[in-house]
Amino acid sequence: MTLPAPPNVAGVSLSGTHPYTISAEENAALCASIGVAPEPDGTAHPIYFFIATQVGMGQTVAGLCQVCEFNVEDGPMMAGSRVTFQRPLRTGQPYRVSGEIVSLVRKPSRKLGVMDMLEYTLRLSLPDGTPVLSTTNVWVLPRKELA
Amino acid sequence: MIPAVGSELATFRIASVSPEGMKAWAKFLHDPNPIHLDPAVVRAKGLGDRVINQGPCNLAYVISMLRAALPGSTVQALDVRYVDNVYGGESVVAGGRVTAVRAEAGGHAVDCEVWLKADGRGPVITGTATLQLPGLRAPA
Repeated sequence: MTLPAPPNVAGVSLSGTHPYTISAEENAALCASIGVAPEPDGTAHPIYFFIATQVGMGQTVAGLCQVCEFNVEDGPMMAGSRVTFQRPLRTGQPYRVSGEIVSLVRKPSRKLGVMDMLEYTLRLSLPDGTPVLSTTNVWVLPRKELA
Repeated sequence: MIPAVGSELATFRIASVSPEGMKAWAKFLHDPNPIHLDPAVVRAKGLGDRVINQGPCNLAYVISMLRAALPGSTVQALDVRYVDNVYGGESVVAGGRVTAVRAEAGGHAVDCEVWLKADGRGPVITGTATLQLPGLRAPA
């Protein structure tokens, strides 16, 4: 089966335009929602690696899907996440978000018929450029219309 | 204390994944996807009968397990796959196993296999993690 090529989106910038700050109040609410206490020293829950990059990047989830010519209503699915921290995340600290789409690969799927695998990398840094973390997420975009 | 290679990490259990919690996470993530909020939408999409927990929330359970099992540690790296959904009202348990311990400047790095399992269904997250334990002496 020959599939049409996916949109050529590798390299599209996902850098944010505004710094993202983890509020102490939201961190406390997040910790409460999963049954743990917030750290008393101002360290944020490490899951903010995902939240800060996702919220602070230059696209909404729907916008990122649109860049890939995919309707968010068709249900993107998270397939994987990798992250490497250079330093812990802190509440009250502004972070810059930069990043880009790494690849969009179309392939047959036994379960979905056809799917696109979207991989994108996002980085957090301090306002002076000091690296804080780098994360790469992989999403599956089901392409039922191509099956 | 530095954990031994092969040791199991203390588990972290969520007795019932809360649909109210999903509403909070929709705000944290700025993601109003209705599959996390409205069971009717989940049914209409053929994904089941209950709201679906956000993947990052599932991962937060795993991270919380690591931090409780290795007090004083900081997360250096994670590499996980989201292999299944978690549904509202389900019971899940996060766990892990130490696969390597390495001396590093200022402490030790601890590599772990990690997972989140839904009761009666199996893994929903699988992966690996590396944590740093500061300034501890290895057991004699």
